[in-house]
Amino acid sequence: MTNNPYRIFGIGLMLAGAIFAPVAYFLINSIPLTSIALSLVMVGFTGIILATSRPQISPEAAQLLLETGMENIAALLEELGLSNKAVYLPSSMRIGNAQALIPLSGDIDIGRIKDKIPRRLIVRWGDNPGDMAIAVTAPGGTGLNKLEIKPGPTSSEIEQAVAYVLTGLLDLADSIEVRFNDKQVNIEVTGPELHYENVWYYRCLGSPIASIVASIASDGIGKPVRIAEENYRKGKSIIRLEVLS
Amino acid sequence: MRIYNRYLLFLVLASCLIDVILAFTRQIDIAVYFTVLVIAYLIITVLFVYFSPKTRKALSLVSIVFLAGFMVVVVLKIMEVMRLK
Repeated sequence: MTNNPYRIFGIGLMLAGAIFAPVAYFLINSIPLTSIALSLVMVGFTGIILATSRPQISPEAAQLLLETGMENIAALLEELGLSNKAVYLPSSMRIGNAQALIPLSGDIDIGRIKDKIPRRLIVRWGDNPGDMAIAVTAPGGTGLNKLEIKPGPTSSEIEQAVAYVLTGLLDLADSIEVRFNDKQVNIEVTGPELHYENVWYYRCLGSPIASIVASIASDGIGKPVRIAEENYRKGKSIIRLEVLS
Repeated sequence: MRIYNRYLLFLVLASCLIDVILAFTRQIDIAVYFTVLVIAYLIITVLFVYFSPKTRKALSLVSIVFLAGFMVVVVLKIMEVMRLK
C-alpha cells in the first residue's frame, strides 16, 4: 500500500507542509513562507488522492499479462504461417468486441463482406470457400471499450478519442496528432511508451499503440483500416493507416 | 512523461510562481495566497481533460475540499467587513 510513489510523495509533502506552516506563521512570522507551506499541503493532498485512483495492478503485472496475450497470438500466427497485415473492422461490420481480421490466404476484399463478422476465432468473410480469416481481439479492441462516447469521423474527433485512451487512460503517450483524408490517416504519437519491433506479431497486428489507434480510427470513420506503415524517430511514433473501402 | 507527473509538476510550478509573485507584491494576507492557489488548482485540474473517470472523480473530491476552504475564507472576510460597518 505504501509503495505507491504518489502516496509517498503526497505524505512527504503534506507532513513537511504541516510542520513548516506553524513554524513559518508563528515563529518566523512570514506570510509568504506560510503560503509555501500551504502549497506543500495542497500538492501533497492531491498526490495522496491521485495514488488512490491508480489501478491496483502493478505495471509489472500488467506487462506480464500483455506479453502473455501477445505471445499466445504470435504463436498462433506463426503456427498458421500468417504474415498478412490485419484489417481492423468498425463496429458496424462486426458482432461483439473490436476485432482484427487476418486473412488465411490472399487479401481481404472489403466489398465482398456482406454480413457482420461473428465473434469467433476462425471466420468466413466472403462467399468463396477460401474466404477465411482468423479474428483476434487486438489491444485496440479492449481500448475501444474504454471510450465513453463513440468517436466521430473528423480528424479532431479521432484525435480526441485516441488522446483520451492513450494519454489519459493508459498513460502510453504524451500527445497525439491526427491528419485524415479519404484514403489514409496519419497519426503522430509523441513520447510513446511501447515501440514498434520487427517481430511476427507486430508485422501482422502492429504495435499495441498502432493497434489502439487503428481500432479507434476504424470505429470513428466507420470503415475498415489497415496499418500500412509504422515508424519510430526522434521520440515520435509515426503511424499511417490505410482506409479500405 | 506520465500524465500524473505532468499534472503534479504543473501544480508545483504554479504554486511556486504564485507565491513568488504575491511575495514580490508584498501581499501579507494569507487568505489572498490561499484563494489564488485554489483558483490556480481548479484551472489546472480543468485543463487536464484526459484523466480517466476514476481520477477525475478523485480530483473532484480534492476540489470540493479546497472549495470548502475557499468558502470559509470568503465567509470570514464577509464577517470582517460586517463587523467593521
